[in-house]
This record gives sequence, structure tokens and C-alpha cells, in this order.
Amino acid sequence: MYQYTDFDRAFVRARAAQFRDQLDRHLRGELPDDDFRALRLQNGWYVQRHAPMLRVAVPYGALSSHQLRALARIARDFDRGWGHFTTRQNLQFNWIPLARAADVMDVLAAVDMHGIQTSGNCIRNITSDAFAGVAPDEVVDPRPYCEILRQWSTLHPEFAFLPRKFKIAVSGAREDRAAIGWHDIGLQLVRNDAGEVGFEVLVGGGMGRTPIIGTRASAFVPWQQILVYLEAVVRVYNRYGRRDNAYKARIKILVKAEGQRFFDAVQAEFRAILDRDVDGAAHIVTQAELDRVAASFTVPQGVRAEAEPAADPSAPRAFARWVQRNVRGHRVPGYRAVTLSLKRAGLPPGDATDGQMDAAADLADRYSHGELRVTHQQNLVLPWVRAADLPALWDAARASGFATPNVGLVTDMIACPGGDYCALANARSIPVAEQITERFADIDEQEDLGEVDLHISGCINSCGHHHSGHIGILGVDKDGAEWYQLTLGGADGSSRSGAPTPGKVIGPSFAADEIADAVEAVLDTYRARRQAGESFADTVRRLGIDDFKAPANAVRRSTAPASAAA
Amino acid sequence: MNFIDPHRDPWRTLGGDDGPPVSITPAAHLLLDLNQWHAVRAHWPVGLAVGLKLANDQDVEGVAQDLPRLSLVALHFPKWVDGRAYSQARLLRARWRFAGQVRATGDVLVDMLPLLHRTGFDAVVLRADQREDAARRALGFFPGHYQGDVHDNRPLFAQPAGTASRLVADAAQRFVDEGAAI
Repeated sequence: MYQYTDFDRAFVRARAAQFRDQLDRHLRGELPDDDFRALRLQNGWYVQRHAPMLRVAVPYGALSSHQLRALARIARDFDRGWGHFTTRQNLQFNWIPLARAADVMDVLAAVDMHGIQTSGNCIRNITSDAFAGVAPDEVVDPRPYCEILRQWSTLHPEFAFLPRKFKIAVSGAREDRAAIGWHDIGLQLVRNDAGEVGFEVLVGGGMGRTPIIGTRASAFVPWQQILVYLEAVVRVYNRYGRRDNAYKARIKILVKAEGQRFFDAVQAEFRAILDRDVDGAAHIVTQAELDRVAASFTVPQGVRAEAEPAADPSAPRAFARWVQRNVRGHRVPGYRAVTLSLKRAGLPPGDATDGQMDAAADLADRYSHGELRVTHQQNLVLPWVRAADLPALWDAARASGFATPNVGLVTDMIACPGGDYCALANARSIPVAEQITERFADIDEQEDLGEVDLHISGCINSCGHHHSGHIGILGVDKDGAEWYQLTLGGADGSSRSGAPTPGKVIGPSFAADEIADAVEAVLDTYRARRQAGESFADTVRRLGIDDFKAPANAVRRSTAPASAAA
Repeated sequence: MNFIDPHRDPWRTLGGDDGPPVSITPAAHLLLDLNQWHAVRAHWPVGLAVGLKLANDQDVEGVAQDLPRLSLVALHFPKWVDGRAYSQARLLRARWRFAGQVRATGDVLVDMLPLLHRTGFDAVVLRADQREDAARRALGFFPGHYQGDVHDNRPLFAQPAGTASRLVADAAQRFVDEGAAI
């Protein structure tokens, strides 16, 4: 993990002090709501349905056990004892009173954490592959570049008030596990024929009302030039992105509207920075800086190739299941990356209690050199586990409720907090997630269904990434009641899903008491129609979504058409 | 940073309730909008201080060749969360090397000061309810920054060795000094 320097620490503490000053002025009546709003958002503080919500930054998902324990303390001492891991690898607290906000920022600063730019119309947390640095298919470790990008984007004075939020994702492996096509900027680390490292740059992906996959702006930006290139992209966006309509203000709208003119403008700006600006080449990343940052991201001391342990034929079947679903291969022979599933009956997807956070921190210390990752699917990963330790880890993980063998299966769903917590939501997502989790509680049935990406968003803001789900559920508001639109055939860009694409709506929305039935009908149809070896995503692609419409519609009761077909 | 007192400011715009003036008589310290400047630029007397106020959706490139003749460019924040003027200021300084005054007008809050300073503004007209002492304080929270700015475009990683440590030490000393002043 990146090791903070004295400067990094002083910076985060200064930010906490600045926020405290702003909060004090606000509470004294010197800083009105309207003005304070944009300032608190840039430290991660939303005013939400019940209480202010804090979004803590977990840079590219990397978390130490020490930090996780601090998050557990915050949950205990300031909140109601739990937190929620998000689709952008961050952590949200839902119950901290605003008057205590500055104290929380100080607690975070003490463990090198903050909420800087986790909200607001600025460059947000840079996300990446949770298996960065350990995945066998890795081409280039994205983490040093993510950290360099994070620092460059932190309190960038020109880009603090963009037309809208700006999200960057970075992938360094052959499989895209960071959904880069769905981001404002998606960066794919590649090597050219000469073996040099660079970025394929995608611009203009996004979800929301107008789901679009990013367009390639450059096939290869040498890594040294990436900050200058991003400066060009974001400057063009800051100058020309729409400001008249918040729903049309993302960069994807500008890219679509301007087409080639946009890419020409970016290219011209990029060249102008380098050729004409005062010291324009200053942000060319140096080898020394890459080396300095990369030095933090080496293999932890004590990790070295080991012989694979012999298979144990007497191991319980449940253990084998867990290994099959929750444990992945590793770059280092004899090692594994283990997912702690935060998806199980009785808990909203991605939630963890303070007790569970402490337990996960303990597991990280004992089995993963004190390191964890937050995944884009709202789980936790222990990235440095010895294969020989798997049986002991499984026992310990089970005791803490982390060993549900469902990673990648239908109950490993993505769900936003939804209407229970979020003032923006049209509908609740947690009860839907709960119903579906109960329906598919049988692990044998889940395994038979195989990999299914089920994504649930409570509103069109799409924090639950419903557009990229094999099955997407979107909460909509109709006549003041909760309704749910069902989409099929979405893909996030991962190997199991295929090239990124938005799902398609399969019909009018379903009532709250129909949606779980509709999902079940869709999955029943898959089982009935699949060919040998076909995953759910494969079958949907082969059949097309029309074949799923009739079975889904058959579950309608309150939403059945008035004149039923004969 | 120059905090402009609107009551003592020599610069004035043209046009009032009756609309823009039909003809413009050159005089010192006129702050002209783009249309007005285009009307007079061909024959504006050399050496007579003139300023240009740009809307935040007007391109700086369009007036780049006139910049050496201007003493002042006034940029605008229609709402303080509309950050287009930051890019305009940055381009004026870094791309076009404008050496006159770059002034922030409109919805200018004290909390914008660090951003304004670093993108090249050297004068601000604070919104009426904003206090100058709070603005000055807003400038002093951070020991330094990661990325470069118009005063020194070198990011932290390109600064001479020891810069980060020096910045931290200086900030700690300032903190002590302020405490000693109580």
C-alpha cells in the first residue's frame, strides 16, 4: 500500500482543519447552507434522508487493517455501528451527526484517510481492479499510476468546479475488472510493441439517464504523458461541458454532441500544453516519481513463491465450494486472493458492522499481511493469502460471516442503499435484494445457475450500476409508489460478461411484490433454454431478450394489462 | 491578492439602464465587454489603460493577440460553482503569458481564494457578504500542493529534493508563530 510521507499527512490534516473551519462558520450562521453545500460535498458529506452521509475515500480500493479498525471505531463511536462499501470502492456512513463531522475527519486523518473529492463536481476517487498487483493476468500493476493520478487530481485548482462529477477507472490486466468503459475516463494499461508502458484512453462512458460506453480517444498515451493528457481532456470538459442542465452535464454528453471535434480539441490542447505553456512539460511524470510511488507497491515482506499444498481429499465439501467460488489464483505461486463475501441473508449487500470490520482487519493481519481491497462489487478481498492457510482462513471467515460461497453468483448482487437511506432514490433497493437473496438461498441452486451479475439501483443515478448487470433492476417512481424496471443483457466489460453494453428494458415496470418473481421467471427461462456450458449471459446473448419477456410478464398481477391476450 | 473595494476602484464599465452606449470615448480605466472592445480596438490610443471583461463562455484565444494592450482582464463567476473562469485564468497566464491584472468578479466567496490564487487571479471583488479577513485566512490552510500551478507549474515531484519536507516544516513553524501571537 502507498506509504504516506510527512507531506501527505500534513496535507490531509490541513484539509481536516479547513473543513473544521468551514463547518464552524456554517454552524455559527456565517456560511449559509447553499454555500456550505459545495464545500462539504468536496469532503464527502451529503445531507441524506435520515442524517448526513459521509463517503470516505478508499483510494483504488486499497485498505490497511489499521485503517479498517479506525473505520470500525468511527462506526461504533459516531455512527450506529455499521458502514456500507460502495461500487466505487469507498465506504459510506449513514448516521453521523453533522456537528461531529469535523471530529470524524480528524480521526480519519490520523490513519491517512479522508473524504476529499468523494462528492462534488470534481475528479472523484480513482477506482481500479481489486486484484491489482496479484492477478495472474496482470500486464501492468495499475496501483502506482492510480496513486500518481490521485495526487495530481487532489485539490487541482482548475478542476474543482466542473460541470458535473468526473470518474476515472484504471485497469492493468487482460480482463477489465474495473468497468473502465463505463467511466468518464477509462484507462487501460498496455505495452506497445517495444514493451513500453502506456494507456489506452477511453472518454465519455457513463450510466444514468443515458448509458454510454466510452469512446477511444487515444490508443496509446505513454505513461509519462498521462497527467498532461488528462489535463487536456478535463480542461476541454471544464470549458465546454454543458452547465445549463445538470442532467446533460457529464462529459459523455459533450463527447456525443461534438464527436470528432471533441477529440480534435483534446489533441490540440494536449499539444498546446506541451509546446506553448509556461513550463508546460512540468507534469510529465518522471521515472524517479514512478519509482518512488511504485516502491510502496511491492510484494509484502515474507511473501515468496511456495509449493502448492497437496489437495486434501478429506476436506469438507463446503470448503471445496468456498475455494471454488471465493478464492482466486495469484501471480505468486502458492498464493491466493480471497474474497470475503459481504452478501448474505439479513444484511444489505455491501454492509458490514463494526464487529465485522474488526474481524476482517484481524483476518487481514493474520492471513494477508495487513492488507485488504474493497471491490467494485461491494465485497472485501484479502490479496496475499497463502494457499496453505486456506483451511484455517475458511474456518475464521465462516465464524465472522464472510464465507458465503456466492462470489459471482446471483446473490452476490450489487445494490445501492436505495430509498431506505438515500434522499435521491425513487424506490428502496434493500428489500428487493433481500427477497431475491431469500429466493435463492439454496447454494446448490445458485451454483446451477452459475455466474449472474444482478445489479440493483434505487434510481436513475445508477449507483447500483444496473445498466451493466446481466439482470438490472431500476427503481422508478410512478404515482408516488415504488416500481421496478427490469433490464437484461448488460455487461461491465469483464470476461464473463463480454464487451461493456447497457442492458435493455424488457417491458413496463413491475410492482414491488412482482419484481422478485420476475427475476425468478427470467432465471427459470435460462435453465429451461440453456445449451450445454452456456452461462446466463451467454444464453441471453444467444436468444435475445424477447424470449424472456413473456415469462417475466406472466408473473404480473397488479401490473397485468387490463385486456389480457387470449 | 488584491481585494478590490468597489467604492475605490478606478475601473468602470460602460452602459447602464439605458443599454450600451452608442459610441465610446477613450478614457482611462474603462472596462469594456467583448463587443465594446471589438468596436474600439482598432483605434484605441496607445498607452491608455484599458480593460476587458469576459463572460465565462467567451474564449480567451479570441483576444489573445490584444492581451499586451490590456491592463486588466475581468473574469466572471455567475455562480461560484461554475468553474469555467479558472480555466480562462489559467490560459491567460500559462498559455498567453498575460501580465496584467486578472480579476475575479461575480459570485466570489472566500473559500475560492486558494483556487483563484493558484489559477492566476491576482485581484478579487468579493461578494458583498464576504469578509476579507476570512479570505486571507482561507489562503493559509495548506503546506503546499501536489500539482503545479500558474506561479510554478512544477508538481511536487518535480520540485528540488527536500521541498516537501521544507514545506511541512514551514507550515509547522507558521502554526507555532500564530500561536505565539495570541
